[in-house]
Amino acid sequence: MTTNQTHILLVLITAYSLTACVNTTIQEAREASTSLSSQESIVILSRKHKTSGETESDFVSCVSGKTGGGNDALSVMSEREFMDELFPWFEPRTAPLNMKDLTDVISRPLISARIRAIGVRYLVWVEGTTVRSEESGALQCTVVSGGIPACFGFLSWESGSDYEASIWDINRGINVGKVSSEASGTSIVPALVVPIPFIARVQNQACISLAEQLKTFIRT
Amino acid sequence: MERRLANLLLVVVYAISFHWVAGCSSDASITITTTIPNPLIEQVSIDIAVYYNDEMSQYVHNEDLGSYGNHTIDLRSQISIFNRIFDAMFTSVTSIESIDSTEGQGVDAILVPSIEKFQFAIPEQTRKDFYEVWIQYRFELYGSDGSLIHSWPVTAYGKANRLNYGGMQNEKSPALREAAQWALRDAAASISFSFVRQDIVRDWLQQRVAS
Repeated sequence: MTTNQTHILLVLITAYSLTACVNTTIQEAREASTSLSSQESIVILSRKHKTSGETESDFVSCVSGKTGGGNDALSVMSEREFMDELFPWFEPRTAPLNMKDLTDVISRPLISARIRAIGVRYLVWVEGTTVRSEESGALQCTVVSGGIPACFGFLSWESGSDYEASIWDINRGINVGKVSSEASGTSIVPALVVPIPFIARVQNQACISLAEQLKTFIRT
Repeated sequence: MERRLANLLLVVVYAISFHWVAGCSSDASITITTTIPNPLIEQVSIDIAVYYNDEMSQYVHNEDLGSYGNHTIDLRSQISIFNRIFDAMFTSVTSIESIDSTEGQGVDAILVPSIEKFQFAIPEQTRKDFYEVWIQYRFELYGSDGSLIHSWPVTAYGKANRLNYGGMQNEKSPALREAAQWALRDAAASISFSFVRQDIVRDWLQQRVAS
């Protein structure tokens, strides 16, 4: 490998590992005490009845994965598995939208028996999205003399994640509280021959924060 | 070495450009193969015969969206979805070849589902991120004597976010297929709820119990 190639490789590796700063704010509102036995689990669901502003499925998967892993992991059933187990009661257009609807649904013997069988204690409804805004700048790539590709310019954009999780206790039929996670950051891509992206991974940070807060909320 | 690298990069750039251009006007032909979980519903104690007309059992939607390409959506698997939900809804279900046939005799009623309308939308049209599918069915319930007891519409809707497909988000087929699968799943959910929520059907069921 030539020196030039080594430099390019180093720049690319460095660029890949660079991330821009992300500011995160977590809030919590508790309405009742919570606890989770070793036989019980939670499920993290997204609202799908709206035609816009639907929570990204990869965010829900991320929160499920992070809540079900790491230190103090909770037992988490996947959204799809839960929907299948309780089909057709938690489909996009049939899922209960409030506690009264949920109480009506789980008062049915078939449903309550299935919920007992699968051991789900808490439903966590996640709402919110990540949006990208205030994009500015321009970046152009071309092949310069000698056949070397090169990019010049500067790009930047703001990203903001705003998610809220409502936690419902199925056993008691009550809303036990809410946890919200906001994250924002500015991503920039300066390019002087090689573009170097500094990406603000706001959604990932919001996911990690929300998952950690959910663990703390439900465990205590 | 550098020249070869540059040439390779150019080929990649051309390939990506071609992919984008093609993505704007590509055709899509999808066959929906899906199933539904065992429905958790209370069974209605009646014996039903089900008749699917040819349009229903052979339903393939074809639509030319002009510059957005020709789209073919094969919905024939909806029959297996309907059979599964009917098996869960009723004590017994018999599939019949003709509404006038004697096969339907001995059952309490004959159910005839049909498609009235099928629509879909792609992100290029709506400027949103979703592929969407709407289906409007009509259900007709006939008594064992052939008289119409009730007729009611059932709507189904499914959507899929193209952003969930990452690097494949310019490929129409996977997201459109997912939207149609959700629409069929929604149809099954709506059917399971709508039958006993029809006042006329409920009255008819109560009369049967009373007699």
